[in-house]
Amino acid sequence: MKYLIIIGSLIICLITVSCKKDFLNKTDSTRIGTELFFKDQVQVDRAVHGIYGQLQGITNSAYIFKEMVSDNTVFDFNPLDRGGAAGWEAFEFSTVNSGNGEISNLWNSYYSALYNVNNTLGKLPASTITDASKKEMDAELKFLRAYLYFDLVRYFGDVVLVTKTLETPDEAFNLLRVPQAQVYAQIETDLKDAIISIPVKHATAKLGRANKGAALSLLGSVYLTQKKFPEAVSTLSSILTLGYALSPSYADVFDPQKKNGVESVFEIQYQGGNDLGEQSNFMYIFAPRLSGGAITGYANITPGGRNIPTNDLIAAYETGDLRKDVSLKTGYTRNNVFIPIPFINKYNHPHTIAGRTDNNWPIFRYADVLLMLAEAINEATGPATAFAYLNQVRARAGLAPLFGLDRAAFRTRVLRERRVELAFENHRWFDLKRTNTPAEFTAFMNVHGAKEKANPTVGRGGIAFNALDYIYVENEYVLPIPASQILINAKLTQNIGY
Amino acid sequence: MSLISVILLITSDLLTATAALKNHSDRLTIASVSNIFRSKILSKADIPIKGKITDQNSGEALIGVSVKVKGTNNGVSTNASGSYSLNAPENGLLVISYIGYQTLEVPVNNRETIDILLVRSNASLEEVVVVGYGSQRKRDITSAVSTIKMEDIGEAPSRGITQLIQGQAPGVVVRQQNGRPGAEFQVRIRGIGSLGAGSDPLYVIDGFALGTSTGQNINPNDIESITILKDAAATAIYGARGSNGVVLITTKNGKEGQTNLNFSVDYGIQNIPDSRKVTVLNGVEFAQFKKDVFMDQIRYFQNREPTIDEVPISYRFPEQTKFSTNWFDEILNKNAPYTDYNLSLTSGQGAIKSMVSIGYYKEDGAVIKTDYDRFSARSNIGGNINKFISMGWNLSGTFSRQNLANTDGRGALIGQTLIMDPREPVYESDGTIRKYIGGSDGVFGFPNPVFMQNNIIRKQDIADVLSNGFLEFALLKNLKFRSSINARLTYDRSNVFVPSTIGVFGAGLSGAPPRIATASASTGELINYSADQILTYAPKIGENHKIDFLAGFTAQEEKVKSVSGSGNTFPDDLVPHLGAAILRSSASAEFGWSLLAYMSRMNYSYKDKYLFAVSIRREGSSRFGAKNKYGNFPAASIGWRVTEENFMPKFSWLTDLKFRASLGKTGNNNIGNYSSLSFLNTNNYILNNAIAAGITVGSFANSALEWEKSDQLDVGMDLSLFNDKLTVTAEYYRKLTNDMLLPISIPAVSGFTSGLSNIGKVENKGFEFAIDHKVKWGKLNIRNSFNIAFNRNKILAIKGPNDALYNGNFYGGYNVQKVGRPIGMIYGYKKLGIFNTQDEINKSPRQDGVIPGGMRFLDADGNGEVTYDTRDMVEIGNPNPGFTWGHTLAMDFKRFDFNILLIGVQDVDIYRSIEASTMNMDGVFNVLDKAKDRWRSPQNPGSNPNAKNSQGGTNFFKWSRESSERYVYDASHIWVRNISLGYALPKIKNVSNARVFISATNFALFTNYPGNNPDVSQRSTIEGGNDDEAYPVPRTFAVGAKLNF
Repeated sequence: MKYLIIIGSLIICLITVSCKKDFLNKTDSTRIGTELFFKDQVQVDRAVHGIYGQLQGITNSAYIFKEMVSDNTVFDFNPLDRGGAAGWEAFEFSTVNSGNGEISNLWNSYYSALYNVNNTLGKLPASTITDASKKEMDAELKFLRAYLYFDLVRYFGDVVLVTKTLETPDEAFNLLRVPQAQVYAQIETDLKDAIISIPVKHATAKLGRANKGAALSLLGSVYLTQKKFPEAVSTLSSILTLGYALSPSYADVFDPQKKNGVESVFEIQYQGGNDLGEQSNFMYIFAPRLSGGAITGYANITPGGRNIPTNDLIAAYETGDLRKDVSLKTGYTRNNVFIPIPFINKYNHPHTIAGRTDNNWPIFRYADVLLMLAEAINEATGPATAFAYLNQVRARAGLAPLFGLDRAAFRTRVLRERRVELAFENHRWFDLKRTNTPAEFTAFMNVHGAKEKANPTVGRGGIAFNALDYIYVENEYVLPIPASQILINAKLTQNIGY
Repeated sequence: MSLISVILLITSDLLTATAALKNHSDRLTIASVSNIFRSKILSKADIPIKGKITDQNSGEALIGVSVKVKGTNNGVSTNASGSYSLNAPENGLLVISYIGYQTLEVPVNNRETIDILLVRSNASLEEVVVVGYGSQRKRDITSAVSTIKMEDIGEAPSRGITQLIQGQAPGVVVRQQNGRPGAEFQVRIRGIGSLGAGSDPLYVIDGFALGTSTGQNINPNDIESITILKDAAATAIYGARGSNGVVLITTKNGKEGQTNLNFSVDYGIQNIPDSRKVTVLNGVEFAQFKKDVFMDQIRYFQNREPTIDEVPISYRFPEQTKFSTNWFDEILNKNAPYTDYNLSLTSGQGAIKSMVSIGYYKEDGAVIKTDYDRFSARSNIGGNINKFISMGWNLSGTFSRQNLANTDGRGALIGQTLIMDPREPVYESDGTIRKYIGGSDGVFGFPNPVFMQNNIIRKQDIADVLSNGFLEFALLKNLKFRSSINARLTYDRSNVFVPSTIGVFGAGLSGAPPRIATASASTGELINYSADQILTYAPKIGENHKIDFLAGFTAQEEKVKSVSGSGNTFPDDLVPHLGAAILRSSASAEFGWSLLAYMSRMNYSYKDKYLFAVSIRREGSSRFGAKNKYGNFPAASIGWRVTEENFMPKFSWLTDLKFRASLGKTGNNNIGNYSSLSFLNTNNYILNNAIAAGITVGSFANSALEWEKSDQLDVGMDLSLFNDKLTVTAEYYRKLTNDMLLPISIPAVSGFTSGLSNIGKVENKGFEFAIDHKVKWGKLNIRNSFNIAFNRNKILAIKGPNDALYNGNFYGGYNVQKVGRPIGMIYGYKKLGIFNTQDEINKSPRQDGVIPGGMRFLDADGNGEVTYDTRDMVEIGNPNPGFTWGHTLAMDFKRFDFNILLIGVQDVDIYRSIEASTMNMDGVFNVLDKAKDRWRSPQNPGSNPNAKNSQGGTNFFKWSRESSERYVYDASHIWVRNISLGYALPKIKNVSNARVFISATNFALFTNYPGNNPDVSQRSTIEGGNDDEAYPVPRTFAVGAKLNF
């Protein structure tokens, strides 16, 4: 019987040892559980930094949808590797369909960032941060939300509008597309809120976060896009007194040594030269694919050959324009042979580690504000008072001032000025869209397509164009909603023609 | 066989000794190791009887047979010559019993000499089978269980445990997906049960539930038997881990009463037979191909006849091509050796049985510079300490080392050797090795694979220690308590160094070295421990009733920790270690899981005729959401042994017939450790030109996440005929998996693209049949064992009724999971044939960019256009086999024994995605031999341009590589997996048994499938049948010897 007692106690002891209450509650000790976070200033700041981090990702591929797709650039066609044909190359050739992988990446990355914006906004009230800081952060987050939706609505037209955090995935199945006007209304509401509380200038440690200039520039652009010209004029004018100015030299604007200079309103921050993983690599994506290290300086990374300036754009520079040499080169020399494939030079600066450049990406800069303002004034009240702003930009480029144009001529000139001043800064596609009706826009792009087909900027190695390449139709004014999303939620509607 | 005679020899010696002792002292009680019997004062009416006991079939004398007078304790055992003598009443009854033979009652009838022939018993019915948390007589089992005894499967090379299961049990499909040394095979029991949570079975070693893999590191030579639990009645006792079946592995221990020292050595060689190599063009042929492609393109696009001078000089005169390299052959070992040494000592003398073994296994891969070796040691010890306590303790440790290579896929070693330029030599004329190959004439460049294999370091070492021990207390007569503690500790280390001299895959010379050298290193440790407390009670309640109970509690926890580092940019290639890298980064990880479970089981049988079993397990897991931590897993089964019924006539040929049925619920918790929780991901930013730490939310939290549950019905029949010479098992099952743990796609507007959810339903149903037949002609014994299984699966629900999940991609093949359809159907354009002329193109639905020679695809949605996306794609293949079978034929004749294992898979499709590269007609890669018969012009379209797998012309790239039926092949096949022939040497002094054998593994393959291995599957389970060229499967020839002292 004594055995029984021994064993009985053994059982009890074994069971109790392994039955500690939290035995089944395991968590990942190497990561932070979401429910524990968003409590104080440091944590909420980290959440905001995370959203900016997502903007880096969005900006890394934005050239495909905002620049390469336009008449400004093409790509260095690789007859040997047609792997990109159904993906990124389709944007150049206007053969994008709803199954395009880049489209779904685009859609997903914006809504992922929006989730984090909404989530952080939702956590603000319950956090322990000061009321003043809450207001500032609320404003900054609303700027970010407006920024993301402004892109979405311009890419896709009607989009799904989410302004709060979902509790369960099921709710997402009931979120459908709303009319563009509703999206624009939300953008304006957010931005009007934002400009009240967002700081004019952040503390030095926060240099790089969106400030009042960014919010006003964005709102100005939103008004301009909706053709609300008087509102655009008053909004953009208020930036003039915030202390911005044009850099004396155009080259300085893109020089990593002079990041966030006097002209910079809002730019996406990167840092190369170290192991932090925060570098940019635009030059490696843009350099002609057979240039080796001739442009980047590092032969062991094969360049991407994307976003190659078109002959048409190169011709758009006026003689003596100081910006041309800064922005692009018409060819490169490798093994003492000059190869006449043009490339973007704006983001080409010496760097210390292969593949890790230090270049920031400009979103808004003062020259853009001046040109938007000139455009808005011209549209609202005629060109009379708009010349001054346009000529400021031209003067820095070493070009003679313009006078005496009528409204239509001024409109053409200011658009052309935007094309060269802001070349390769992801403005062109949306500029063309907002200044043209769909029909005009389609016609314009077909002219570009015909030109490229007849006389390609980059040779094609004997491979013929496909029949549908460079054929633009009106419905392509907006991108298709990703087919994968419609497969997931059949209630989601597709844009006409896709 | 000779092992048995040794046992018998020893036991008979012992028994003779005890018998002698007994005659000296009536009062002395002697317990032999096998039987306990007591002497008794002889009855006066007794007469002396003697005789000899022999096997009815072989005529061999049987040693150690118990001969007893019925109703008394008076008995003896036969001696070494099979003779016995004892005194018995002249009208008494002798009971002759012997393990493995039918017990016989022989009336004395006043005879003094009684010679007896014994008949082998229904061995399989008496056989004891290991089941979950215990063991059971085979005749009492009411669930679907297959047992594999190692002695039955010939001389299989001991690569690993999963290889041993192959072809042995119906419904257990084992695929050798690649030939990498040391690689585990994929095991699927009764189909694919889950779309999202894994379909690997649970492995249990000596009662320790390890998880869904045993790792590579159990020495197969230490295994005694493997039991596979298939239906819910058998696996529900393993609760949330039982859904995909359970593999119970029992290791060897000392045999009753004997001591054995065994030594075995195998030596073999492996290589890839020419018949299983993929044939590509040689140097001259490739130059000709390049030339023809060049000229055909001018003919087509410029509509003129090219002149010979236009053809680039490097392939203008193909017959002058200087070199012809078969790159695939260059990376193969011609005769890769493997050796396997094992030494074991077993002892079953006295109360404690023990076994110790050591082994060393080394295998060179079929691919150069890949290998695997393993040191292993094991000790098992256990027995009865006294009446109250028995114990057992197993301890095993292995240490394995591997040289690995990045082999699988187009971009990796094997794929690249098929598409590299064959006109390039491996070495320069001065004998130095070339680093980078190709890159001229528009052909893609690759690093030289021979140089790569000799210069890239990729190593992995794993130490694996397994310990399990138990203490068992006989509390009351029939009540036992067993407490066991199991632990596993593994430690692994890997390091990789890629020097700057290795180029990369690239167009032209763009990938030529130098590259940035990279290195990585990691170490990890895993500790897994569990404690089981089991109470068993088997009261005796009369002749007709047998009942036993089990109740238990188990807790298990696993923790894994690792640190890893990576680096790049080295000052030189001389120090191939992470520490020498200029840029370095490091990471660490830590994760784990735990479970708690209570279980209980009852088995009851009435008159051995009606059998019942019920079990339940209640289990909690750390992996599930707070709202659903615990689940219940009940099961019940019944059996009816018709042959025990009185109304059943007793036929001499009908030995046993049992019908059985079971129903039960099991679970699957293979969903990752923290899926129900939401965590933050790091996403940093730069502010003021300094790092600003940032986070984003990583996933939806789902606190309602719960078990994936399977309800399984099984109906079976076990039939034994002609005294066990012929046994048949037939089985039908239907398994419904509910609340599937599925990574469901959710609208991206939620912020996330997928989340785990308990939705969906899959049905697996099937029929299994196994037959085992033994026959004897003179001295020739033949055993045929055949099994066949048909499994059909169907997705019954995902989320909504029309939901489908797509895996894969546009250029590499899709698999689709669609409601109402089998899992993982291959999906793509349906091929209708080829466009021979522009006229045919004009008359067909629009296919943008297609030109003559291009494939004609089905406009599935009938909108007049074959669109360049998934809208016109349809199901084009089924990767789930129609049926699978295995057949073992074993023979022995005098001293020879022979064993052959055949395995077949029928009606199964593979998407051969590698052919998008090996039949890339642009002239940028080398191509398959069959490209010579390609379409070139309407007048010269090749021998069968409309065949399903022919590719079309060379003038285009569009409409040739998209996911289409052109890449779908029937991979039905028959493997002669294993053949062995052994010979038992005549007796030598001090060696009780010596045997030599020769064997061949993967001896022959019969299939129309054009790849190396029709078992290949390189993506996840639900994306079955995708072949992008994996490590080839070699054929192995071996010789070996086994010595027994």
